[in-house]
Amino acid sequence: MLSKLGILFIIGTLFTSLSIIFLTFKELKVIDNLIPSKIYKFSLFQLFFSISSFFVLLLAYILSDFSLVNVYENSHSNKPLFYKISGTWGNHEGSLLLWINILVLFSSLFLFLTKNSDKSFKILTLLFQNLLIITFLIFLLTNSNPFSELFPVPLEGLGLNPILQDPALAIHPPLLYIGFVGSSIYFSAALAALISKIDSQSFAISIKSWVLVSWFFQTVGILVGSIWAYYELGWGGYWFWDPVENSSLMPWFVMTALLHSILVLERRIGLYSWVIVLSILTFTMSVTGTFLVRSGILNSVHTFASDPSRGLFILSFLVIMVFSSIFIFFKFSPKENKKYSVFSKEAFIIANNWFMIFFLGVVLIGTLYPVLLDTITGSKISVGPPYYNLILAPFLIPLLFLMTSGPNYKWISNEVRSLFNLVLVLSVTLFLITFFLIKEKNFLINLILFFSIYLITQTLFDFYESFKKKNINISRIISHLGFGLLIFFIYINHIFSVENNFNLKLGETKKTDYYTIKFVNLEEQSIKNYKSIIGYFNVSNKKNFTSKELRPEIRVYDKPFTITYEASINSNLFSDTYLTMSNISDTDVFNIKFQVKPFMNLIWLSVLLLSLGGVLNFFKRKKYEKN
Amino acid sequence: MLFKKVKIRLSILLTLSAISVFLIFLVFKVLEDNVLYFYSPSEIKNTNDLNLNKKIRVGGMVKKGSIQSNETEIKFVVTDLNNEIIVSYSGTVPALFAEGKGVVAEGRLRDKKFFIAKRILAKHDENYMPPELRGNLNKDAK
Amino acid sequence: MKKINYIIISVLFSLLFIVLYLSLGNEKIYNTQDLVGKKISEVEINLFQSNETFNTKELTNNEFTILNFWASWCGPCRKEHPNLVRLSKIKNLKLIGVNFKDEKDNARNFLRENGNPFDILAEDKNGKNSVNFGVYGIPETILIDSELKILKKYIGPLNIKDVNEIRKIVKK
Repeated sequence: MLSKLGILFIIGTLFTSLSIIFLTFKELKVIDNLIPSKIYKFSLFQLFFSISSFFVLLLAYILSDFSLVNVYENSHSNKPLFYKISGTWGNHEGSLLLWINILVLFSSLFLFLTKNSDKSFKILTLLFQNLLIITFLIFLLTNSNPFSELFPVPLEGLGLNPILQDPALAIHPPLLYIGFVGSSIYFSAALAALISKIDSQSFAISIKSWVLVSWFFQTVGILVGSIWAYYELGWGGYWFWDPVENSSLMPWFVMTALLHSILVLERRIGLYSWVIVLSILTFTMSVTGTFLVRSGILNSVHTFASDPSRGLFILSFLVIMVFSSIFIFFKFSPKENKKYSVFSKEAFIIANNWFMIFFLGVVLIGTLYPVLLDTITGSKISVGPPYYNLILAPFLIPLLFLMTSGPNYKWISNEVRSLFNLVLVLSVTLFLITFFLIKEKNFLINLILFFSIYLITQTLFDFYESFKKKNINISRIISHLGFGLLIFFIYINHIFSVENNFNLKLGETKKTDYYTIKFVNLEEQSIKNYKSIIGYFNVSNKKNFTSKELRPEIRVYDKPFTITYEASINSNLFSDTYLTMSNISDTDVFNIKFQVKPFMNLIWLSVLLLSLGGVLNFFKRKKYEKN
Repeated sequence: MLFKKVKIRLSILLTLSAISVFLIFLVFKVLEDNVLYFYSPSEIKNTNDLNLNKKIRVGGMVKKGSIQSNETEIKFVVTDLNNEIIVSYSGTVPALFAEGKGVVAEGRLRDKKFFIAKRILAKHDENYMPPELRGNLNKDAK
Repeated sequence: MKKINYIIISVLFSLLFIVLYLSLGNEKIYNTQDLVGKKISEVEINLFQSNETFNTKELTNNEFTILNFWASWCGPCRKEHPNLVRLSKIKNLKLIGVNFKDEKDNARNFLRENGNPFDILAEDKNGKNSVNFGVYGIPETILIDSELKILKKYIGPLNIKDVNEIRKIVKK
């Protein structure tokens, strides 16, 4: 029943999308300034159909309707409701349906919310967006149909993998999808702008909100994803330079570059072609990332069951997309007016863009190199985190410096500013205090710490200044402050992280440099569908004589047989104490991983601050538009 | 005047290309230094010019009944069904580490038969292993 | 200038895409195909329905035998099942199903729904025995002759082409 209904709604979406393509194509030849109401109606229907199809799948998951292969393979009637719901997008087919929903949603929102814009630009954007929708609908129907039926209907589903039942894992995919699928709308808009030849300023204004929205969701999605890795994977790290993480970071770099260069374009200073290239690149990177993850040529902790035919489809789509973009770009390349000068805001923004593109290149090479080498020479390699850390770290220094001084320059000016001022003196003092507190010897790390402190002080100072003058560019200040704090805390965390691996028996005590860990008690409990072995540990700090109790768990599930290690984390604003225990081959020896990680919560908060800047900018624009 | 403009442009172009060449060189140099090669026990046996000082990854299956552990280390045998290698490791093993399961060990070779691991990786997804994923254990870094 | 850029960019992307395309069909490292031609090891496996065991030595009585590793939780197994049913109609070929890390009830339901093509049904509750056959993931199918020599090894679900190939081998 639900299966047929779902397919019906999908066909409905397909039909309306085709109609929109047909109508917009016809409208291209009509020279007037009115978009016919038919297009608006079809767009509404399209939105209705696609959202309904998603709700049908959601309902099938909630009701545990195992007549759908998808539900049968990924759900179980004993699953908590929350995980039944998140199961909808936790698999390839369901997530594809979510993709299509976001494509459709952005298509309609663009149509209804973009006002006072050139008609042919709007129509063409809609046309390109619907071409994307159609392609993905065909992919869904022919290769990855979430509504495939199963007969006879099984009584129970298969999916109850406890590792995958985690709130952060459940919510981060939709956030990321809104981020990088959302970038499709400015991909379509960029192609439309080329063909319709609209002026650079109105293009910049019409895509800015979309860039902000997708950038915000991408940032938060990456944040939640790394929180999941930190709490659930049990390794105590939060970023592993894993291919999937990389493929969410790559579009983020381009979005960040785009966010900045739009500011230049908005003021008719230049960069039109560049903004268009970036708009195209963002969605291209998103699709490339999806290809790498779903085709199975790279595999990572975030496993999607993969299938070469899917890879082939996404690759063909990518090829068509990239080559038609290149073709359109060179055929209709826009006229530039270049007005920028060396010591001006725009020059700093261009520098920011270079850094973002460089970071993108580094991550892209690191991710693709194993694939290329494997194909060409057959040797199997993996690129470890040292590669990324070694290359990216030195470049943080100039980036931080540019972020510090850049924003205070004026547009189109050539006035050189003196670098010596109160803020610099203050920053040097603060840095020296930090240096004597932490006594870090590595020169590079000290430089990074200094420049992040400089950025933080300068931004706070800017905040005070602009508050006095009452023209607050609060969003920039918040975001840059967040970035400065992020880098600062990441490095402080890096310096002060303690990790100890050792084996303990019940009742024994282990002494490390600063901590004493006592294995106090061991308890066994039977809970609903698993057996839990809980260790009681007493961790006392030798310096300040505080002690904490930590209770790591080993859970043994029987359906399917799975062992999970639940880390016990004692977390406060300044430091996380992290303990995992595991047992090797049923002896009475337990293997303990003990970690102290300072400022974890402040790292999360910094990223939140960074993304908050995006939200503020979005609402500031809305207010600005109204006035 | 015109000549001056051309000169400025040329110097900008030259600086830019010099910087790009330098960056590309840097990226690939660091990449080459930090790449971890992946070997199966058979490949280790058949390769003659192995560098014992370089960190590598060894992948295969944990041989049935081969896990031995004491207070300081775990020892087990990794096999690819043709050849075997002994792996010694001290530290926490991942949740999915078990006999008869795929495993990837990262560390250095002491000799062709003995490997000292610094890190153990196991597959994240336990049940479903479609054929095309099977070779990808090595890329499964967490 | 514009044209040169156009060509350079297009060529670069083409090269990248070609490599990505090749990597899709690339052979992966755990290739157990080289087990073909070797004899399978003698292993005791538990039978599914009873507590008795079964030794692979007994397979010397069959002209050809297929060992199929499957489980009810595995999606591709469901897909290949009709092909196993097809194979079960061949006279000089015996099918042995090894139920891999499964719940008995689920496995029974699976066979009730899809038919039981197996002459002997064995189980490998913790997945340890299957290792001896070089099985890494399921489904996997091994064709052996009366000398226990591995003739063919299929990794992943059997398709209709594989079925025809097996038919041909068995007829010779």
